Amino acid sequence: MVIYLLSTLVLFSLASWIFYTSSKHHLLDKQNEVLKYEAESLKSKFRALHQSTDDKLYYPNHKEIKSAIYNRDKKYIFGTIKSTQRFEERKENSLYYITKIEPYYLGAAYLLVATDINYIPIKNLQKNILIFMLAAGIFFTILGYYLGRLFVSPMRESLEKMNHFIQDTTHELNTPISTILTNVEMIEALDKHKENRDEFKRIEIASKTLSRIYDDLTYLNLNHQYHRQIVTVNMSNLVEERMAYFTSMAEGKKLKIVLNVLPNITLQIDKNDALRLVDNLISNAIKYNKHEGTLKIILTKEHLVVLDTGIGIALNDLQYIMQRFERINKSEGGFGIGLHIVNQVCENYRFDFEIKSIIDEGTEVYIVWKK
Amino acid sequence: MEKIVLFCIFSIGVFADFNQLERHCLSCHKAQQIPSNLIYRRYLMKYSTTKQIEDAMFNYLKNPKKERSILPAQFFLKFPMKKALQLNDVELQQSIKAYVEQFDVKKKLILENSSH
Repeated sequence: MVIYLLSTLVLFSLASWIFYTSSKHHLLDKQNEVLKYEAESLKSKFRALHQSTDDKLYYPNHKEIKSAIYNRDKKYIFGTIKSTQRFEERKENSLYYITKIEPYYLGAAYLLVATDINYIPIKNLQKNILIFMLAAGIFFTILGYYLGRLFVSPMRESLEKMNHFIQDTTHELNTPISTILTNVEMIEALDKHKENRDEFKRIEIASKTLSRIYDDLTYLNLNHQYHRQIVTVNMSNLVEERMAYFTSMAEGKKLKIVLNVLPNITLQIDKNDALRLVDNLISNAIKYNKHEGTLKIILTKEHLVVLDTGIGIALNDLQYIMQRFERINKSEGGFGIGLHIVNQVCENYRFDFEIKSIIDEGTEVYIVWKK
Repeated sequence: MEKIVLFCIFSIGVFADFNQLERHCLSCHKAQQIPSNLIYRRYLMKYSTTKQIEDAMFNYLKNPKKERSILPAQFFLKFPMKKALQLNDVELQQSIKAYVEQFDVKKKLILENSSH
């Protein structure tokens, strides 16, 4: 829409400028024609004056058009133009026309006529062009808006459908996920899964993944209606708790976990926002890590850094990674909303969010708390 | 005081030139009804600048010939060619200057009331 409007504006401005320049020249040419006509009229009057034997010779005096006659050496003879003005001198905002007089009536070889440029028609022209541009601007904005809506409506519809689907799905998923998780935890607590330990572990990982996706989707859907409660959150405890929560997933990939968390790091933040921020960074670092890779978390007063030794993100893809539903690596599951949520949280709290990544070496995510 | 003296000297000089012009030129022109005014206009129409008019007059008066005259050739079918003036160069130039000064159209030009 912006590109369309800008290109239309440039095109119209260019066309208007060409039209204005040509019309202005035409208007000035018309004023020049009047000067030429007056010069010819003066010449015939000079002839009559030259032949007159009267004691006084009345030099024609036009109110709007000034004139003067000069001899062959371009020296001033007489006229309504001041004698102090040199033959070659030209004043701004005036039109000049010089014509030769032959034979030299009254000794004049040159006639110089001048008039002030009449700017009224030029200003009218400017006004009309401005009105036209304004009208065209309004018309093309409306047209652009209408066409834009027309063209993006299929895309908007599909997005709306997706949102509705997610809303419905999340609503329906809540209860079964909670049931699975509660039961798995209960079986673990009762120590009744000795025979099928691995299978239970997988169920636990899968349910936690589902639970996190559910939390993310709910967070996104309720983002605008959700009333945030800014409280002091102990980030050190939160990071450690969430790392413990994701331990089963990390163990599944046999990751080496390095926690470099300074104690009692606190932030003024909504607890759910902090949870979504930490969860998404940790789960991404696990999900996209290599088998037997390393996951390192550093938490200080200044920042939170999550490093993985995973597949990495190409430099070109980094600019898209924070967009909603954008997934660079399609081989892993998910909706592509994790980094979008992280980005949203960072924007809300004005944290600096930076991702450094090298393909096949790993990714470093930096969240720098505001000072 | 100096200015007054200079003006007086200048005025006396001009008066002397006009006196000389009257004596050597215009007295005959008047007697023969030669329109000096119109002759000057012919010079003006052909030469435009005072310098060129004076040079042309000087050349003609020193050595009057049809081709040096400002009047048309047919004029000399009816009237004889005048004789060369018996004036020295300085006197002749002063008289010509006085002549040009006397008939100068610039002095006659005034602005009419503005029109349009």
